[in-house]
Amino acid sequence: MHQIVLEQWSRGSSGLHRLDPRAKIVPLLALLAALATAHRSLPEFSALVFAALCLALAAARLPLIPALARAALVLPFVAAFAAVCWISGDPERAVSLTLKSYLSALAVLTVVATTPFAALLAGIERLRAPVFLVNVAQFLYRYLFVISEEAQHMRKAASSRGAAGRSWELGGARFHAAAGALAVLFARSYGRAQDVHRAMVSRGFNGHLQPLFDLKFGKADAAFLTLASLAPLAARIALERLP
Amino acid sequence: MNSIVHIPDGFLSTPVWASLDAAAVPAIGYMARRAQRDFDGAKIPMLGVMGAFVFAAQMINFPVGVGTTAHLLGGALLACTLGPAAAVVTMASILAIQALVFQDGGILALGPNMINMAFAGVLAGYLPYMLWGGGRWRRAAIFAGGALSAMVSAALALSELLLSGVRMTLSVLLTALALFLVAALMEGAITVAVIGALERIQPNFIRRPQQGRPFAAGAVALGALLLATVGVLVASAAPDGIQRLGIQTGIAARAQSLISTPFAGYQAAFLQTAWERKVVGGLAGLVLVTCACLIFSRVAARKRSA
Repeated sequence: MHQIVLEQWSRGSSGLHRLDPRAKIVPLLALLAALATAHRSLPEFSALVFAALCLALAAARLPLIPALARAALVLPFVAAFAAVCWISGDPERAVSLTLKSYLSALAVLTVVATTPFAALLAGIERLRAPVFLVNVAQFLYRYLFVISEEAQHMRKAASSRGAAGRSWELGGARFHAAAGALAVLFARSYGRAQDVHRAMVSRGFNGHLQPLFDLKFGKADAAFLTLASLAPLAARIALERLP
Repeated sequence: MNSIVHIPDGFLSTPVWASLDAAAVPAIGYMARRAQRDFDGAKIPMLGVMGAFVFAAQMINFPVGVGTTAHLLGGALLACTLGPAAAVVTMASILAIQALVFQDGGILALGPNMINMAFAGVLAGYLPYMLWGGGRWRRAAIFAGGALSAMVSAALALSELLLSGVRMTLSVLLTALALFLVAALMEGAITVAVIGALERIQPNFIRRPQQGRPFAAGAVALGALLLATVGVLVASAAPDGIQRLGIQTGIAARAQSLISTPFAGYQAAFLQTAWERKVVGGLAGLVLVTCACLIFSRVAARKRSA
């Protein structure tokens, strides 16, 4: 699955990888807010942000082209919407939508690709996100690949029995077969969840997840956080004050 | 169909995303506390794994029509099996993972997306089940829940985009609403079919509707519903929208003559009646859609039991 690429990327050892997750999340939010509120001088600001993100990706020793292509996953949806805006006589908005959403996705990708996902969620939790929600997200991510693989197996099994046929008369039967498959997947997931819970309780789980790593917020992290959060703001002020 | 309502960053205007982010924090926080109470805090693995199930369910395609497929969105199904609060939390964490890992929906737009799909979507999907899930209208209620859940999410997303100043011609807007309606009906049909199959496997997967305090949750869900329709109305009735509507429907000429008359009262009267007409039209549309859902599900249920 292509998400595994992200797992590989996030396990690098560059300076950007080694920063505390919080020192990356806060500047990310600052950058997203600066992008979302940009009106005048959006093209110049976008170019600047794009260059900065490319530099960050290079500094993290991530492959540039695959990363840019991955962020382009947002584009099909955006393109459809931009087309609607264009037809409705608002080409300016179409361009700004495309620029903002692509750059925002690239910024998020840069952070997610330089932080192991468990550490990222731990950082989000330390920034006062609801603990329960973050823990559910931790489990969701862990079992995402397991359950997805199970679904893929089921799909393969179904198509090997001829479920890929496209005849119209069999539509109803195939609909019910798909419903049955989903119900089986549900039951298996539910059973697996109960097994996981029992196994965890037997190992002393009391409702709190104890990460095996400790987040340390050092001086370098603080310096990076301050500089990187102020940079988009400074860039926008500079661009908008320019004659 | 799923990604139609995942709003990326950069689409919403600052007041819209900021206020919805601010609204999402207490809404999701409250639901997380409730789910934690219901689930004793120790059932985190259950919600996480069932979230992974909803994710994986996208891979199982349901044939609908010629050559097109749809997949489960899952809000109503989770509400009927895990309970509404747990379903809200599960959907919210799905949205967070989608935004972070899959570039599906934005980070600043996470609040709006959570309000649309996790909060309002799940509660709207649970409302019919809570009200009629126990009686002989059960299948109809499940169908209406699935359809309502998808429709409310989509309508909210659309109204947020319109509020952000995105201009759409009336025909584009109507096409979008029609597409959403079709997707909503599919979600209803899929939810009914999956819950039926689940009950054949093991009946106690499905929660009986809670009899304790139906009023509070019902009020919240009804509020969500009203918000959805009123949001679309307000958004499309913004000055810009009225003008476009006027041009589209050909009343522009008449409106122009009205507005240019020296009597200011005429203008106000025109706007007022347009507004009223729009509200009445919107509500009538909602009633029609609801009736259509109910009738369709009734027929579907009868066909299946026959």
